[in-house]
Amino acid sequence: MNKLAAALVPLLVVAASLAPPSYADDEEEAMRKDLTAVIALHGLPCGQVVAVKVLAKDDYAATCKDKNKYRVYLNAAGRVIVDKQE
Amino acid sequence: MRASHAGVLVLLLTAGCARDLPDTPGSEPPNVAEQPGTPPPSAKPAVPATPQRASRAAPPVAKRSAAAPALDLNTLEAQLRATKAIGVFTKITLKNQVDDLLDRFREFYQGGAKITMKDLRRSFDMLMMKVLSLLQDGDDKLASAVVSSREAIWGLLADPKKFAAFEG
Repeated sequence: MNKLAAALVPLLVVAASLAPPSYADDEEEAMRKDLTAVIALHGLPCGQVVAVKVLAKDDYAATCKDKNKYRVYLNAAGRVIVDKQE
Repeated sequence: MRASHAGVLVLLLTAGCARDLPDTPGSEPPNVAEQPGTPPPSAKPAVPATPQRASRAAPPVAKRSAAAPALDLNTLEAQLRATKAIGVFTKITLKNQVDDLLDRFREFYQGGAKITMKDLRRSFDMLMMKVLSLLQDGDDKLASAVVSSREAIWGLLADPKKFAAFEG
């Protein structure tokens, strides 16, 4: 039994590493792409958003591949604002 | 609220498509040329558009059938709302930029602005290019729908009467 378990552990580890990305991963990837497009549409340098932090509803902190950081949010007038962060 | 964020884009596209169906092509370029401060530049983008439309209409069934869904208003609207090629924030940003462009047209027609029809055409082309860039990899079908609606939309914007009717 112990031998069986020992044989299964590596298999499970490999299976876990090959598992498709979770829904949360997909959602985060979609958000990164969305914010990348938004920043580009504002004509600001970024390249690609590599990390997103949710600050509030419709309010995000985006970190770009080129190290630029932006706060992207929807203001009361319904406009998407991109503010460069230091 | 989010569902309506793609609304302006949809409105523009659907309004443009609505025109495109019954009207014969070729009425837009003269209207554009009539605008103040436009003559050569606005005629320039219109020139390639005419052969494009002609070639789209002329080449037989294959291309026509590919463009046909683009002219279906409900389908186009549904596709723009539903497309996953453009994220929600991107749709809102595009909507903001469409609103800005409409404001510039309004200023132009009211006569107070320093902008020319050439400037507006450039802004319009840039905006369409942004939309197409966002769509072409993720939603090819919708991208071609936008392409086939492009000149019709411009025709709507560049004609003061049609623009006023659209606004009203």
